[in-house]
Amino acid sequence: MTAVAEAAGVSKWYGEVLGLNAFTASFGTGITGLVGPNGAGKSTLFKLLIGQLHANQGTLRLFGENPWNNVPLMRRLGYCPEHNQLYGWLTGQRFVEALLRLDGMSTKKASTAATAALKVVGLSGAAHRPTRTYSRGMRQRAKLAQALAHDPDVLILDEPLSGADPMARVQILRTISEFAKDGGHVIMSTHVLYEVERITQNIVLIHNGKAIASGDIHAIRALIDEHPHAVRIETSHPRQLAQALARMDHVVSLEVPSEDTLLIRTRKPDAFYKELPGIVADTRLDVRALESPDDSLEAVFRYLVG
Amino acid sequence: MGVTESMRRLWVITSLTLRYLLGTRRVIAMLFLSAIPFILALALAAARVTAFNSDLFQVLMIPLFLQVVLIFVTLVNATTLIREEIDDNTLPYLLTRPISKPAVVMYKYIGYLVAVLVLLVPPIVLAYGVTEAYQGTGLTSDLDVLGGFLVTTVIGSAAYGAVFLFISVIFRKPLAVGLLFGFVWESIVGSIPGDVPKLSLIHYLKSVLKGMIAIGPMTTYRSDISAETALLTLVGFSAALIVLTMMVFQQMEFRQKA
Repeated sequence: MTAVAEAAGVSKWYGEVLGLNAFTASFGTGITGLVGPNGAGKSTLFKLLIGQLHANQGTLRLFGENPWNNVPLMRRLGYCPEHNQLYGWLTGQRFVEALLRLDGMSTKKASTAATAALKVVGLSGAAHRPTRTYSRGMRQRAKLAQALAHDPDVLILDEPLSGADPMARVQILRTISEFAKDGGHVIMSTHVLYEVERITQNIVLIHNGKAIASGDIHAIRALIDEHPHAVRIETSHPRQLAQALARMDHVVSLEVPSEDTLLIRTRKPDAFYKELPGIVADTRLDVRALESPDDSLEAVFRYLVG
Repeated sequence: MGVTESMRRLWVITSLTLRYLLGTRRVIAMLFLSAIPFILALALAAARVTAFNSDLFQVLMIPLFLQVVLIFVTLVNATTLIREEIDDNTLPYLLTRPISKPAVVMYKYIGYLVAVLVLLVPPIVLAYGVTEAYQGTGLTSDLDVLGGFLVTTVIGSAAYGAVFLFISVIFRKPLAVGLLFGFVWESIVGSIPGDVPKLSLIHYLKSVLKGMIAIGPMTTYRSDISAETALLTLVGFSAALIVLTMMVFQQMEFRQKA
């Protein structure tokens, strides 16, 4: 299986408001981050993936099937909505149990699975408290517990870290990573770039309802030829090294921000990394460390959306 | 497997619905409203009203219970069923499970029926008991009156519930539309002479009462519909409207509220 979910030219509008605009992307196995600012269309895409909206145009498939009103497909997915509402009068345990019974589980099986899921997300201690008493972080974890308790093939998580405290964030990210390690697939949205960067390199960038880039973060970065790639080099002779590197025709700028640092910008990072060892060897200058300060999701996103 | 799983889903959604309808503060107002017939019967008995008997019970119960309490209790509960789940953003939890949207509607409707009957039936029985005890003729002397009101309570809850549930999936503010239907349409259409009252549910409920009660003011109600026909009409109407609601709900999209 190569793609968990695929969208081809999917458009969704609400009256005159465009939610998705010919969105085309493929969500592969493992963890994929759907990254975009608020209002980019992330929740609309997720609502389409879970079959609560249907597309006005284009084709959307989850495990090769159309999710709209597809009841059997619901067994294969676990969904964590963005909002924090739960059935407040239910305890965490009863909340997860009730939803598991909708999957057809017996009371005993549902109880065991709910207990296990709440333990995985670190909510065992609060399992018997009404969910209305939960903090936002606890609510996020309860939502995650109900999404993964029936052992789905894919988790669709809409801003799972939104409002979560640092402890909850760690717990949620760990749970997601472990779910993926066990062979599950995760499609997770966020508008905070560094959050998704911690657990995956696979991203789909969405802006104004369009997929503007997708794939491995480094591959995406390499595609952005018009945006120079920055490399910070730690060396005791930054000026001499700058002189040597200036001969490269793809180097667009050279800066010496401190006495032992050289910051260069190149349009061809691959060529730069290939040629650099030779130049260093020829000039006999020491290079203690190489770092790409903008090789991050934040930089990619900033470049792509302008 | 299919039947067992369906029964589990029915149980879960019905239980959640019952808890939703009977476990919130709103139920206090509903209990008070539902208890009005009983409170009135107690008041008449306590005041030693000499005319207080089974006939007066019928005279009071039709405008008070059938045309106010029944409509208001069914309106508040049925419009809450799905609309509040939509407004509270809890519906995705149900709809991302292997259960069809029409099944959600049906199970919620069953939960609604149980909840409103829990609210409405005991006060009717108690009010009847007070009336019979006061007139001193024994609790079984007017069982046709009790039977008539119990049947109209059940079928009225089903029919009005179906209407208000349908309204709640069509309109964003179902309470206002439901009030118009329940108190304006039903009152005006139900009181116009000729065949026009046949366009109101209250006419069929009164026809059921007329057919079931042997003696009393209801026997003079002008209707050419038999109790059986009226009952079947209301059952068929309720079933048709629930099926229509299921079909509409099946095609509904749920955009997350901000």
